[in-house]
Amino acid sequence: MNLAYLHLVLNHFPIIGTVIGLGLFVVSFVGKNDDLKRASLMVLAAAALLALPTFFSGIGAQRAIRGDPAVSAVLIERHEGAAILALFFMEIAGALALVGLWQRHRVSSGKARSWNSMAILLFSVVTAGLMARVGTTGGDIRHPEIRLAQEVTGTRESGLSAIVHVFEPSPGKFADLVLINKWWWAFMMDLHFIGLALLIGTVGILNLRMLGFAKQLPVAPLHRLTPWAMGAFGINALTGILAFIGMPNYYAFDVAFWLKMLALLLLGLNVAAFYLTDAFRSVEHLGPGEDAPPLAKFFAATSLVLWFAVIALGRYIQPFTDTLSVR
Amino acid sequence: MRTIEESGLSTWLRESESPFGFYFVLLFHTFGLALLVGASAVIDLRLLGIEREIPLAPLKRLFGIMWSGFAINAASGVLLLIAYPTKALTNPVFYTKMTLIGFAVWVMTNLRSRVFNDSTLSEAAMIGRGRTLATWSLVLWVGVITAGRLLAYTYKYLTFPF
Repeated sequence: MNLAYLHLVLNHFPIIGTVIGLGLFVVSFVGKNDDLKRASLMVLAAAALLALPTFFSGIGAQRAIRGDPAVSAVLIERHEGAAILALFFMEIAGALALVGLWQRHRVSSGKARSWNSMAILLFSVVTAGLMARVGTTGGDIRHPEIRLAQEVTGTRESGLSAIVHVFEPSPGKFADLVLINKWWWAFMMDLHFIGLALLIGTVGILNLRMLGFAKQLPVAPLHRLTPWAMGAFGINALTGILAFIGMPNYYAFDVAFWLKMLALLLLGLNVAAFYLTDAFRSVEHLGPGEDAPPLAKFFAATSLVLWFAVIALGRYIQPFTDTLSVR
Repeated sequence: MRTIEESGLSTWLRESESPFGFYFVLLFHTFGLALLVGASAVIDLRLLGIEREIPLAPLKRLFGIMWSGFAINAASGVLLLIAYPTKALTNPVFYTKMTLIGFAVWVMTNLRSRVFNDSTLSEAAMIGRGRTLATWSLVLWVGVITAGRLLAYTYKYLTFPF
């Protein structure tokens, strides 16, 4: 198991996930099927979450084949630029899907919901197109049999790809922009820490209440703090992705960084399991003094442990830099 | 500063290859931050008007978490200072951070004594008394985090320069 292998294992999920999510989303509208719509939003959110380790493992794959005379550096750079652009659209689509899931739950105004649906449709259509481009440019790196002759240099694009290519950032220039000066970097890290505090505060109080702390608090209004946690997570996902783009080699070969990503994926599973089992329904209307059932307590405890693991692993990124070998 | 820096504990914290050295202390400093500022933020935002259906009085329990976070950070902070005394003490940002912590803790004790300790107060009265304190609490804790982050980027000397 190495990062190149991980990249090849993961790289089809965001592409197929976007297509399936978008397909289900469209069908749910045509068939006016609300459960299907919910499923499609969850698929899009999962694809957005899986897109993160896929993107991050690309640097490892790059280093593994670097120096191979059959591999063109230009093609790798083109693939990476396409991936950065697609990643941002994918994450926005995933964030909108989470907002959509929240709106379903909160029964917010019909107008806000239809605006959000339009936005999800727009962003997931664009993401699906960009993902196709990421897939083909990635395939071109290692599959000369599907590569067009003029593409070997990677500088000639035709038709739609030429238009898309204009918007694809050069990875090196993007990294320079993120690292433009230390105050900008310090500002991003500051936001990352403020987001951390807000996230742990809002998620933590709900989890602690489910575990029996401050039982006079009813659960429902604490659960409505969720948009604050989502906002804080959004800040931290954005600043984290930008930090990675700035110093990919610093993060990608660090075992603590990858364990942190694993903990985040497990948190995704934890949230999904909490809402999809009886756990959420059993605590949703818990009033003052009432006790949560064991299953809900289990999800609350794992959530707390995993969030603190995320903090701890994040702090260990520096001393473990270069702990992962390339091959 | 030199005396502290040459002590066994300081050298070990700085130079130990063990995962339980410097970064272990640092991770507790971040745990403490999450507990202290996270819990404060919930109380402050509630006092400033979000989610009015969360009853205010039981939030008093959060002060226990805030003080535990503060204790963890005071202890881990002292250890971090022992590890790199010159780095902190030659940087004005460090003294700014300490001052901001002083004010923030003062606001925190005031929130507790004037807003949460008087159980006869109605929610409206609690908000009336707590609103300004809550704003200051948020501003000061964000300031403390910012100053703490800047410590990593603004120091002039890492260790004693002579």
